[in-house]
Amino acid sequence: MGIEIVFNILVGLGIVFYLANALRLPTTDKPADVLGAGGFPIILGILGLIVLAMITMRVLKEKSEIHIPMLELHSVDGRMLAINVILLAAYIGLIDVIGFILSTLIYLVACPLSIGYRKAGVLTIFSVVATTILVVVFGVFFFVPLPRGINFFREFSYMIY
Amino acid sequence: MDVIIQSVAAVFSPMAFLLIVVGTLFGMVCGSLPGVSTSMAIILCLPFTYSMDPIVAIVMMVSVYVGGACGGSISAILLKTPGTPEAVATIFDGYPMAQSGKVGEALGLAVTASSFGTIFSAFIMLVASPALAAAALTFQSAEYFGLGMIGLCCITSLGSKNQLKAVLSVLIGVMISTIGIDTINGVERFAFGEPALLNGINYISVMIGAFAIAEVFKNIEEFRHRDTSLRTEGKVSVKLMKFVEMAKMWATFIRGSIIGTIIGIIPAAGGSIASLIAYGYEARDKNASPKFGEGNPRGIVAPESANNACVGGAMVPTMVLGIPGSPVAAVIMAAFMIIGLIPGPLLLKNQPIMLNAVFLALIAAALLLFIAGRFVTSQFGHLLKLPYPLLGSLIVALGLVGAYSLKNSFYDVLIMFVFGVVGYFFDKFKYSNAAVILGLILGDLIENSLRKQIIIGDGSGIGFLTRPVSLIILVTAILTFMWPIIGNYLNKKKAKNEE
Repeated sequence: MGIEIVFNILVGLGIVFYLANALRLPTTDKPADVLGAGGFPIILGILGLIVLAMITMRVLKEKSEIHIPMLELHSVDGRMLAINVILLAAYIGLIDVIGFILSTLIYLVACPLSIGYRKAGVLTIFSVVATTILVVVFGVFFFVPLPRGINFFREFSYMIY
Repeated sequence: MDVIIQSVAAVFSPMAFLLIVVGTLFGMVCGSLPGVSTSMAIILCLPFTYSMDPIVAIVMMVSVYVGGACGGSISAILLKTPGTPEAVATIFDGYPMAQSGKVGEALGLAVTASSFGTIFSAFIMLVASPALAAAALTFQSAEYFGLGMIGLCCITSLGSKNQLKAVLSVLIGVMISTIGIDTINGVERFAFGEPALLNGINYISVMIGAFAIAEVFKNIEEFRHRDTSLRTEGKVSVKLMKFVEMAKMWATFIRGSIIGTIIGIIPAAGGSIASLIAYGYEARDKNASPKFGEGNPRGIVAPESANNACVGGAMVPTMVLGIPGSPVAAVIMAAFMIIGLIPGPLLLKNQPIMLNAVFLALIAAALLLFIAGRFVTSQFGHLLKLPYPLLGSLIVALGLVGAYSLKNSFYDVLIMFVFGVVGYFFDKFKYSNAAVILGLILGDLIENSLRKQIIIGDGSGIGFLTRPVSLIILVTAILTFMWPIIGNYLNKKKAKNEE
């Protein structure tokens, strides 16, 4: 129950932040636009807080326990998941630096390894083939402008897509 | 009679028919790939159409549209990643059905429903084009607001496990839709000076995050305890429904197709709204077995028939009035102009065989979906043979391409990541990711229509009640929202009386 109350408090803070910003929006110069830019968000924010309060009261009444592995870092599942979230963040962070090809290649090796996949040969073939297919299908065939990275990586990507 | 013979000759000439086959297949491949939309598929076809006969060119693009509308369901069912925005509702029951080992059946339902929806709307288009287009033009802000409210009221069906959490989820979705420049008076809202946020948050990135990435996270934590791969015995292929099975769901096919055709005809609505409304309507049935959200076949038939029925519906205002019925139809309309045709009342006069040719192309493409579906799903089937650590990482990479390619923006990838984590927690705390998406998709339409109608009414909202169509739609929306609550109350009362 405790973890859900914390979650509800975070959601509540988010809605309060939204509402506070909505209240600061300028009033309209069109007299007929009675709601203005802030009116609709203010209604949403107030409704959101009312519904959240009702949910929280129900949570307090029901007292049910929720199991969230991502927050249980002492367990293997929790650690595995947390590592994967970090890996994905790193993949996204690297994609604009070293480009799509290299970052995808690294991610497609690192992610299965972190989940416990240990067949090195299959993993190597998979990561190379999957990256090639993604680059050829999206970058070359469908002209999707995949991220290129910076400096050398950028120049390198122009040779491929 | 001459017009019909000419249309048949134009559409079923060897070259035109070949292009219909290629167009349907190409559309389906593009639709099934997250990041390659149906609009993009049509744009990619455009350069090839410059030297074609106008009828053949349009016929080809219409078949790409039909293929693309159906293709989105393939990755939605197999990977929980919608290939196109229109396929979002197909995930709710398509993926659970595939997980329970009924991959072929789920794909078969999607293809059959798509084909049925396309053929249904093609006939409506042929028979009632001018009348329907004129009726659609009477839709104003009040009616659009009502339509959006009907869509939002579907949350009572989407979030059946916890109605309050579903309501909050939809409110959060609508809140997210208010980010960016206010379209009525140009005020910057919740963008905090970030240029990337001025255009708002794209719901595709949110969708990829909340569904695909969150699902990968969920599967990773369960991976050591159970095999989360979507394994099937033998080859993954479309398993077609028997006529008897189809007949049992005839009402769902018809309802989905009617909803899709109507929403397709309404300018600028589109397949996403149609499929969500059709799904929400079906999911009101609380006694369905299996339950909606747990792999009910009707949960695939309704959105897919609605989504594809939108194709024929959207062609009505596009051809008859020169007003696109959906975002994809807008691209087709641009293509009309590029090849020298002006859509509008004069089009049918100057090109008398156009309407019949488009009708025949829709029918042909609808039937070809079965062949194209077999080919595309068999290719996707290879993916499913991968062990989950490999498949999961590939889904993430595919999702990233899908999010990035929307606007070639790093922000969309960040949004995907954030909503991947948020979606994971929402799932754990029994909030509804589907309701967030619903709110995000419909938020703009609802706010803008509400404010425009109030402006038209010089500050008064009475127009919502004095316009008959608007009033009917709003009453329907209220009934849609209240029905599960009333149903529960009546059931409890009945049970009490029986005691």
